[in-house]
Amino acid sequence: MLEWLARGLHKGIVTTGYPRRPEPAPAGFRGRVAVIEAGAADPSLEDVCPTGAITVRDGDVALDRGRCILCGLCVAADPARFTLVSDFETAAGSRWALVVGEPPVATLDAVRRTLGDRSRTLRRSIHIRHVDAGSDGADEWEISALTNPYYDMQRLGLYFTPAPRHADVLLVTGGVTESMRAPLARTYEVMPSPKAVVAAGTDACSGGFALPAGEVAGGVDQVLPVHVYVPGSPPSPIALLHGLLLAAGIVTNEIANERQAQP
Amino acid sequence: MKPEPLRRLEDPSELLAQPRLAAVVEDAPGDERRLKLPLARLDAAAELLVERHGRLVGMFCVDRPEPSLLVSIAFRGELIALRAPLEGEVEYPSLARFSRAALLPERELHDRFGLVPVGHPELTPILHPDPDRITRDVIGAGTFVMPYGPVRSGIFESIQYEIETGGEDVLALHVRPFFKHRALEQRFRDLPYEHGTLLAERVAGIATVAHALAFAQAVERATGVEATRRAQRWRVVHAELERIANHLDVAMKLADDAALAVGVARFGILKEEIMRLRARLCGSRFGRGVVVPGGVSAPLLAPNDVLRALDEFERDLRRDRRLLLATTSFTDRLIGSGRLDFAAIESYAGVGPVARGSGVATDARFERPYGAYVRLGGDPVTSEEGDAQGRLLVRFGEIRQSLHLIRQAFERLDKYGPELRADLPPVDATGFGWAEAPMGEVVYWVALGGGRVRSTRIASPSLRNWPLFAASFRGDVLTDFSFIEHSFGLTPAGADR
Repeated sequence: MLEWLARGLHKGIVTTGYPRRPEPAPAGFRGRVAVIEAGAADPSLEDVCPTGAITVRDGDVALDRGRCILCGLCVAADPARFTLVSDFETAAGSRWALVVGEPPVATLDAVRRTLGDRSRTLRRSIHIRHVDAGSDGADEWEISALTNPYYDMQRLGLYFTPAPRHADVLLVTGGVTESMRAPLARTYEVMPSPKAVVAAGTDACSGGFALPAGEVAGGVDQVLPVHVYVPGSPPSPIALLHGLLLAAGIVTNEIANERQAQP
Repeated sequence: MKPEPLRRLEDPSELLAQPRLAAVVEDAPGDERRLKLPLARLDAAAELLVERHGRLVGMFCVDRPEPSLLVSIAFRGELIALRAPLEGEVEYPSLARFSRAALLPERELHDRFGLVPVGHPELTPILHPDPDRITRDVIGAGTFVMPYGPVRSGIFESIQYEIETGGEDVLALHVRPFFKHRALEQRFRDLPYEHGTLLAERVAGIATVAHALAFAQAVERATGVEATRRAQRWRVVHAELERIANHLDVAMKLADDAALAVGVARFGILKEEIMRLRARLCGSRFGRGVVVPGGVSAPLLAPNDVLRALDEFERDLRRDRRLLLATTSFTDRLIGSGRLDFAAIESYAGVGPVARGSGVATDARFERPYGAYVRLGGDPVTSEEGDAQGRLLVRFGEIRQSLHLIRQAFERLDKYGPELRADLPPVDATGFGWAEAPMGEVVYWVALGGGRVRSTRIASPSLRNWPLFAASFRGDVLTDFSFIEHSFGLTPAGADR
């Protein structure tokens, strides 16, 4: 056991400072695809995208990050119009925001500061229940990476719990297959209020590559109300952390509102 | 128990030319043999090959070149495809009579295509499992069934187990897959080749590279064009990094089962370092977008940067591995747990580290080498223990082998031309492609037409090995469950498709 202790100390501290400090993504990392030039687009651009994330209407191109699997085929086809951004913080508070982009409320640093303050004040820590509703399996690896020493989610007051009755946040992966519909709905029902649902990964946001009809419902929001969308195929651990902290804010705000409403 | 490699089929032409089989030989690319035969003779031909120690890889209902039932059987050096045209018939003699490996595929074909295997012992629906339906085999005072899943404790993929127990001993275990069935095989229809690899990457996310490779190689074999030499070398690098990450994940989960906190942290760090190296190398932590039909996308790192990172990684790993295997509170939980013998592996046609951990030296990289493995060579890593410890030792041996293969792959990289990608012509053809995923051999069948994918079928190692997990409980108790499960290292996404 002493030897294990020595092994544990040998590497020093590897944990990220996120969200108090930004965590830069490595060069070339596929974080998200951005549209640089929207106008005068050819409708044939839609066929470039394998998951139908690109739509051209009246010559204007729109990219739905909730459908995008970050393959980069559009960037290769038209580099003057699309670009890959090496960015970890990709979560959004609505499905719509993934298409048009978040309103420019504040600079990224300010958002990060808010998230940092939030994690510091999580005295009532947030418990997360994960449900796989038909993912490709990679999302689960990234979620479980949150507990490794590089990300160490517990330092922010975020914990995984096996019991849905103790959970504040439901973290769902996958586009919801036929057989997972009922188990997912049941998990949500037994969670106490206030609760927030996070759709993690492109599959959970929109169904991703799966057929729009048939075996897969086409996204968690077809079955449950979703509060935070984390796109990505799969989303990186920092993207998940970003999304979970946004969800934690929703839960804590609701608790504060309830307290205020009480006489 | 001596490690036994997958055998070579002796005198195949003579064997398969028997008049009673009425088989017609069709054109096929090298190391593939195609036979067309009547549906009523399919089981006789398959039995003949299984008796000669062929491994049943998969059973597929295909629509090209005509509606047929396709059975593929692997030998050393070749893959044999038996194809029986379906002329309106829906009944065929079940292969489960002589091979347990046919049990699950035949149930799936029944649900998806209405094909009836006559003589199948348990033809119940499998594709849309109902979590509330409970199976029970063992009857006796004090025994009960404990359903576990599909929503389980911890960050796991969805699958359901029904554990029959009297309180401590696991008396019987039933595996219920397909909670995550996404109908992905149908989704391949009419995709351009390039979109096809992207979809294959998402069939089993933790084996992204292996699935993309099996698909791309099926397309390449059908078109008769090989990936460029340089691309083949890069494919080895990515595939082996994926194997290392998967094996470290298993070591980490096993350490977690034994509540070895520092061990979990250490192996978590090692795995994260490999994931970060992959992100720097290709922009994706899972190697997505690397394999393209005919080659690979351009790497973002120079070989020397990869080698330097791996040298440091290996130094760290060596110490952690030694310490883990010397921690008796850990190894005590693995030794003797979930023991499988040679005969069980053969009857279920087991693959991957599960088979190799029981002395079955089967590994697609070396028995039917593809791409750069043809020149790199090597032998499967095996263990003769047959238990969870044996499977872990195989994984550690394979990490060392993977590091060696990556170094070898880089050694001669400069001798090849700079081209990373070959053009594939549009053809009307079908083909098989295979790759050794971290959990075992994955096989793709594709039909191409007019420059697009017309149809795809997938034989996944996870589905193949899952019945073996149920069969491995012999006198094991409930607390051994997670150790045995994690020692298998399977993924429901790949099994359910």
